[in-house]
Amino acid sequence: MWNRLRSWLRATLQRPCVEREMDAELHFHIDAYTEDLVRTGLSREEATRRARIEFGGIEQTKEQCRDASGLNVVESFIQDSRFGLRMLAKNPGFTTVAVLTLTLGIGICTTVFTAFDALLLRPRAVKDPDDLAFVFRTTPEEPHGRFSYPDYIYYRDHNKSFSDLALFAFGMVVTSSELPATGNGAAPRVAGAIGFQLPQLLQGSAQPIGCFFVSGNYFPMLGTLPVQGRLLQPEDDQPSSVPVVLMSGNFWQRAFHSDPKIVGSVLHLDGVAFTVVGVTPVDYMGTAPDVPSLWAPVSASVHLGSLSSRELQSRHVIVGGPQGRLKPGVSFSDAQAELAVLAAQIRASNPEDKAKEGVAVVPGRNDFAMLEPMEWALITAAMAAVVLLLLIACANVASLMLARSAARRKEIALRLALGAGRWRLLRQLLTESILLAVLAGAIALPLSSWMLHLLVVQIASALPSFWGTIALKVSPDIRIFAFTLLVSCVAGVAFGLAPALQASKADVNSALKEEGSAFGLRMSRSRLRGFLIASQMAACLILLINSALLLRGSQRALEINLGYETRRIAYLEMYNPANLHYPQEKMLQMNRSLVQGIASIPGVESVAQASHGPIGGGRWIEIAPASSAPPTSGNGPSEPTGAGYSYVSANYFETMGISVLQGRVFTRAEAEAQEPVAIISEATAKRFWPGQDAIGKRLRIGSENQGMSFPGEKEPFVAGSEVIGIAGDVHSMDLSKVDESYVYLPLSQTRQWTSTLLVRTEVDPTLLLPMIGEEVRRVDPSLPVLGTPLNVMISTDPNFVISRVGGALASVVGVLGLLLACMGVYGLVSYSVAQRTREIGIRMALGARSIQVLRLVMIEGFRPILAGMVIGVVASAGIARLIATTLFGLNPMDAVSFSGVSLLLGAIALLATYLPARRAMRIEPMMALRHD
Amino acid sequence: MANDKQLELLQGTLDLLILKAVSLGPFHGYGILLRIQQISKDRLEIQQGSLYPALYRLEDRGLIASEWGESENNRKAKFYRLTASGKRKLQTETENWNRMADVIAGVLRTTPEEV
Repeated sequence: MWNRLRSWLRATLQRPCVEREMDAELHFHIDAYTEDLVRTGLSREEATRRARIEFGGIEQTKEQCRDASGLNVVESFIQDSRFGLRMLAKNPGFTTVAVLTLTLGIGICTTVFTAFDALLLRPRAVKDPDDLAFVFRTTPEEPHGRFSYPDYIYYRDHNKSFSDLALFAFGMVVTSSELPATGNGAAPRVAGAIGFQLPQLLQGSAQPIGCFFVSGNYFPMLGTLPVQGRLLQPEDDQPSSVPVVLMSGNFWQRAFHSDPKIVGSVLHLDGVAFTVVGVTPVDYMGTAPDVPSLWAPVSASVHLGSLSSRELQSRHVIVGGPQGRLKPGVSFSDAQAELAVLAAQIRASNPEDKAKEGVAVVPGRNDFAMLEPMEWALITAAMAAVVLLLLIACANVASLMLARSAARRKEIALRLALGAGRWRLLRQLLTESILLAVLAGAIALPLSSWMLHLLVVQIASALPSFWGTIALKVSPDIRIFAFTLLVSCVAGVAFGLAPALQASKADVNSALKEEGSAFGLRMSRSRLRGFLIASQMAACLILLINSALLLRGSQRALEINLGYETRRIAYLEMYNPANLHYPQEKMLQMNRSLVQGIASIPGVESVAQASHGPIGGGRWIEIAPASSAPPTSGNGPSEPTGAGYSYVSANYFETMGISVLQGRVFTRAEAEAQEPVAIISEATAKRFWPGQDAIGKRLRIGSENQGMSFPGEKEPFVAGSEVIGIAGDVHSMDLSKVDESYVYLPLSQTRQWTSTLLVRTEVDPTLLLPMIGEEVRRVDPSLPVLGTPLNVMISTDPNFVISRVGGALASVVGVLGLLLACMGVYGLVSYSVAQRTREIGIRMALGARSIQVLRLVMIEGFRPILAGMVIGVVASAGIARLIATTLFGLNPMDAVSFSGVSLLLGAIALLATYLPARRAMRIEPMMALRHD
Repeated sequence: MANDKQLELLQGTLDLLILKAVSLGPFHGYGILLRIQQISKDRLEIQQGSLYPALYRLEDRGLIASEWGESENNRKAKFYRLTASGKRKLQTETENWNRMADVIAGVLRTTPEEV
């Protein structure tokens, strides 16, 4: 190996020296042989002649020697590259288009691959990530459920498969009085442009800190080293232990400027004193998807009061997900089998559980095994789209190359005629394509790292800061660089080979005589390309029409009549108020102060209280006419059904602009006395008492035995509630349709406090939010409050998110596809013009006018486009109908979307046809006919 | 030098012959040619020009090494010698050749009765 490298280096670097030596060596041989011949008695002239003849061609031998010592490979590579670069520089238009096309394909491919890898494939940065396993509770509805604390303890103490089984609970949020209140920075640009916003905290109100709760054995299991102090250990996670907390390196740097004396200091979280025991490395995520500010033992959630010790011991309160490390030699299926037995034991000792609950043990190496089928479908679709984009890019560049090789037929034929080998010629053409690909790869790499950076920055800034810090490593690493290069080179060979093969097959004779452009020849070659272009156009049209439908639909969703006012309502929600540990009386007092304080702000019309807001705060409860028997089978009108519900203050209806159609609203006395009265939506009345007057009828709300619920939630139960009013229908539980049932219950302002306030304003509520924030701070500086105009809450609705994000993605891919399709059209028409130069010349010589020629060329180019567009429109109509059944606000027959997008696309494609076709018009008949 | 009884060289055997010749001591190209003819008693026909590409190829593979020196009649000439890996190569190739020759000879000796 070393030898070869040395001889190769010598051959490359000391070229003249090597040549001289070769010459000297061969001449020495001939001279020596001549001397020997002279010695046998021949004359000197005769000897020289004989020696030269017997030696053979000196130049030929030298060439063979150069080949043998690897001299020529280098030589011809340098030659090819230099020639290739010259050819590319000579056609700057072609080069730019081809390189840009490939850059797009490669850049997007790399971006998506990197994101996929960073999110799902990269092993977690912990000790031996391959042994980690995540345990989920499976029910028919939920494959990745979490466990209650007692169930976790049972698995932890009875299993033999894991060396450690820890518990991880997602960020509950705590507030600290020691930290300055920080507002959110500039609004995220991309998310803002898409129109997707998450409710942000009111500026001025207290800011929460993200905290993950883990069992004491979590850090010993993962095996990390702290940068300061120590990590959490099992002794910290006892109900009796002193409250301690571990700080993330990111939070330490951000909020404490890397204070070296942080360990041992006290941090007040929700008013409880916690001792900081250590600091993790920066960007340390453990098994979490992002970096929290703090890590605390599970027992700390009892100290903080976010869980009572009774709730922690309840089998009905979901706490977190177990994550374990398998013992050496234990496989995932062994662990699965063992845990299934334990699950059966738990079921046996708790007969009231649903029988179908099971467990699933999945690899915890990365998040790959935790994907839901829906996410799988999305990822597969995204990857397929991206690969398709790359393929289209390659096909288009191949098409461009083919068009160009038509123009280069003569050059190639000339080189073949002069004796160039076919392989040598292929190598030349391949070198050119690889050069293109490498150029494109060189641009695509920084492009994709920029796109990734943008993506992460945008996602990070769209998330409220207390969700955690995104620590995705998206700077291009060596693997991704290799991937880009590989993709570029494979693409280079892929798109270079076909035209190269075709070009090198060129029949020397006919090409030189320019007979290749005979009339019949063009059809068979362009048919495949025509088909390609038609399908590209169809795909683009489908994407773009549907993205237009989605975007217009989501725009309409913002304006849709939900049954209540959305644009002049500010939605306020206290963030985890239970964390403040205020007594009931203080909470009620705070509620009253907030309502009064905010109502006195100029521009505020009224302030209503509700236990659940109309958007995003929905809770289901069972309701049924009080007279009917408990649930039986059958589908009668008395069948119990789920309904949305909310305890509301009497001014709720007026504030929200919901009309009371019949009856009346609650009186103050009824509310304070918690009388069993209710106001129901019109649809509820029609459902239970069709054709009758519902006023005065009785309703059973809720059920005696409650199912699993979230901490701090308590469902109402009223055996017989009198209907006193009927309110207008609302879209609340599912914004795409009127709620089948909705029930309003009276809110007692002296007994129930609510975390939700709805503020009716005279102007755009965004303008009043800062003043509301100040008011919140004045009432209680440690109270974090989310505040946003109600119509922004629409943008958190999954339907809206899907419409917006789907529409945005489809339009990006569609526009890129359009760009590529246009390049394809351009290539096709250029090719056809180049091939038919002679034919066009004849036509013009026979009297065809240039406009006729233009029409001829353009019709041929436009035919596949038209076919593609027809297919695209028909397919779009079908797909749009499908989407419309699941998303709201979408009109599948929207004429503006269909005609607008089709016209735009047609015009762009027409331009792409016209530009090269123009060249046909400029053909000089005489030049074309003479054309050698 | 032409001789009616000369055999044409089998494909690929020139490399082996060069390695063998060089194993007897360092030679320049012409010397290698003479040595092969001498030990083969002029029974092999070697194209003089084909010798050099073979030498360059073997040197490229590191089986032989070259350096400039003085020839018998005091002219500068390029001398080739066997390298360590060339020595190993010669050994294995010689064994291969002998085995192959045995097998082929055996096959050719086969009479109809033995099949």
